[in-house]
Amino acid sequence: MAASSGTVRFGLTPVFLDTDIQLLAALERYLSDRLGRPVELIKRRTYQEITLMLLSGWLDAAWICGYPYVRYRDQLYLLAVPVYLGKPLYQSYLIVNADSPVETVAGLRGRVHAFSDPDSNSGFLVTQHLLATMGESPDTFFSRYFFTYGHRNVVRAVSSSLAESGSVDGYVWEVIKHNGSRLVEGTRVIRKSEWLGFPPVVCNRNARDVDAIKGIAEALISMNEDDLGQEILAALHLDGFIRGSPPLFDGIEEKYKFVRNVFRDKT
Amino acid sequence: MKAPAINPAAWPLTLKVPLLVAVLIVSATAIASNIVLMRISETQKTNLQQLTGSYLDGLSTALMPHVIRKDIWETFDTLDRTREQYEGVHVLNNIVALNDGSVLAASDPRAFPVLSPVPEKLTERFPNGEELVIDDVDGRAWTRRTLKEGNVPVGSIFVEIDISDLLRERHEVLVTLIVVNSLLTLIFVAFGYVMARRMVRPLSVLTAYVEHVREGKMELIPPRYMPAPGTEFGDLFRRFNAMAQALNEREALAARLAEEEKMAQLGRLASGMAHEVNNPLGGMMNAVDTLQKHGDEPEVRTTSLDLLRRGLTGIRNVVRAALVTYKGVPDPHHLGRRDLDDLRFLVQHEIRRRRLRLLWLNDLPDEVSVDGEATRQAALNLILNACAASPTGGMVRVEARREDGALHITIADDGPGLPETVAALFEEASTDVPPPKGITGLGTWTAAHLVARMNGRFQVATAAQGGTRLTMVIPLRREEKLVAAA
Repeated sequence: MAASSGTVRFGLTPVFLDTDIQLLAALERYLSDRLGRPVELIKRRTYQEITLMLLSGWLDAAWICGYPYVRYRDQLYLLAVPVYLGKPLYQSYLIVNADSPVETVAGLRGRVHAFSDPDSNSGFLVTQHLLATMGESPDTFFSRYFFTYGHRNVVRAVSSSLAESGSVDGYVWEVIKHNGSRLVEGTRVIRKSEWLGFPPVVCNRNARDVDAIKGIAEALISMNEDDLGQEILAALHLDGFIRGSPPLFDGIEEKYKFVRNVFRDKT
Repeated sequence: MKAPAINPAAWPLTLKVPLLVAVLIVSATAIASNIVLMRISETQKTNLQQLTGSYLDGLSTALMPHVIRKDIWETFDTLDRTREQYEGVHVLNNIVALNDGSVLAASDPRAFPVLSPVPEKLTERFPNGEELVIDDVDGRAWTRRTLKEGNVPVGSIFVEIDISDLLRERHEVLVTLIVVNSLLTLIFVAFGYVMARRMVRPLSVLTAYVEHVREGKMELIPPRYMPAPGTEFGDLFRRFNAMAQALNEREALAARLAEEEKMAQLGRLASGMAHEVNNPLGGMMNAVDTLQKHGDEPEVRTTSLDLLRRGLTGIRNVVRAALVTYKGVPDPHHLGRRDLDDLRFLVQHEIRRRRLRLLWLNDLPDEVSVDGEATRQAALNLILNACAASPTGGMVRVEARREDGALHITIADDGPGLPETVAALFEEASTDVPPPKGITGLGTWTAAHLVARMNGRFQVATAAQGGTRLTMVIPLRREEKLVAAA
């Protein structure tokens, strides 16, 4: 295992503000200090790369999305779940350009749509599921859709009118807005999903008893007891981390299964 | 009122030279400025070609994989990031199109939405497949590049560039050129004006002296105004002075001739005068004898003394007239009535000798302001001429009067009329006419010359019954005219 070789490898998906280098450096320093050994934060462009690296044992732990977690639930082990606005939950937003006349989901038909990542819950699965309940798929419903591999990019794509609508992580959208970026001013939310399990920190089920990995879970859960940890949480607009339990993600699993069955029926 | 006609030939040199300088400099600078601006324009185009070329090279490399995959987001992301990064080219719009002519992504998706066809007004800008098209009017340049994987085209990039900076630079150069050239023109025009004035200055000096000549003052240009010899004006001034000198000499010669003529006349008159002095002497001697013999008788004494007085008076008149002729009138600036009357005593012998009658009508006031001596000499010459021209027993009339601010002296005779050459002398009445060859007619010439010198003229008339009537008209000096008018 990687953890046994000294450096702990911690994977990150672009679930949050992955462009903030300073924040990443702080997180890396915090985890290294707490574990008493070097921690390396590993970033990749897509969720899939991180997921595969985790499943293959190349990463010790990773902060991934709820969607890959429910898909590989039998191989992954839940370490911690962030708490946002007092709960380990978040929403998916459907956004349009601020100048767009569209008010409803039906109004998005035939337009160009931006998704975040095909393995993202809020940035893809939620909308895919919504369309499936309408008997549609992204291919049939939109004239064209594309993936930006980042929630912030979805906001950029919609606010610049590159795409007329987008599926975005509600937490990311709110944080960008809170930080005073003018980016979200160019967008308008037309639908918010139900509350779903916040992207969790997981490890390979086989490595769940490794000390270093347990240490990561503890470091995250006790983050709000540490000065640097509090700074990081404040920057992330999170209350802290809890242990969490797998049923938190049942809502996501339901959607996954629903679209999988629709896909299966079609074929 | 009609505007005065513009006649450039009449403009002074001080205007023409600077104007010519201005026209030449403005033309020259206009041509030079045009060349400069053309060169700047060419250089800017070359620079822009190089800049956009390297910009497109970089952008193509970054975009190629995304365009091959038709990845809308990455294409947009690349355009969005590079737009701000590339210095030197102010990119307004980037558009990436696929082979089917649809927009894959553009830096401004609102203007060029995804999937929409590339606007024709954009593709039309490259009718012949140029890579760079410049629109100076809009301040825009457009460039395009076909993206090729190997030899297979996968799409195209269109870039709209703001070149207003370049146009502003050109405009600034233009403004600088205009300002500098205007200043240069002004400086050269001022220089041209100063030079023209310097060159023309001798001309105004010469003009002033020529004007003096016209007024009758023949002055030489003094050395301080004299340009250096060998120069155009130097030679001209020296020629002018030589001419003035010659005229002065001729005037002096004429004066001397007049003087000699006067003396010659006195000589000619001398025998007559001797007669005039001698004639009364016989009677006077008789009177003296009579007084010696019969002086006791009061009647005889009174008669004899009276005879003596008349004889002496006659002699005194003749002597006085001769002296005046020889020495000049007492006041050379005026002609006294008596000065004219004296002439009778000088010519009376001639009158008597030729048995002529002399009609003397002197209506002059005591004094008239003309050159007394010249007038007197001219009149004497003409009276003697008239006597000579009259047939025996003829009548010579002399009338003198003041009329219309001039002295008129008319001498009429019963002669056959004036010879043509003499008449011509009077018609011309100019100081410029040279004396005739030979001594004959010198008196006439002298008279004509003297009258001309006094700005006078002659009126020549031939009476119906024959004879000549010659009138000298001599303008009075100014003071007299004013007195006369008052």
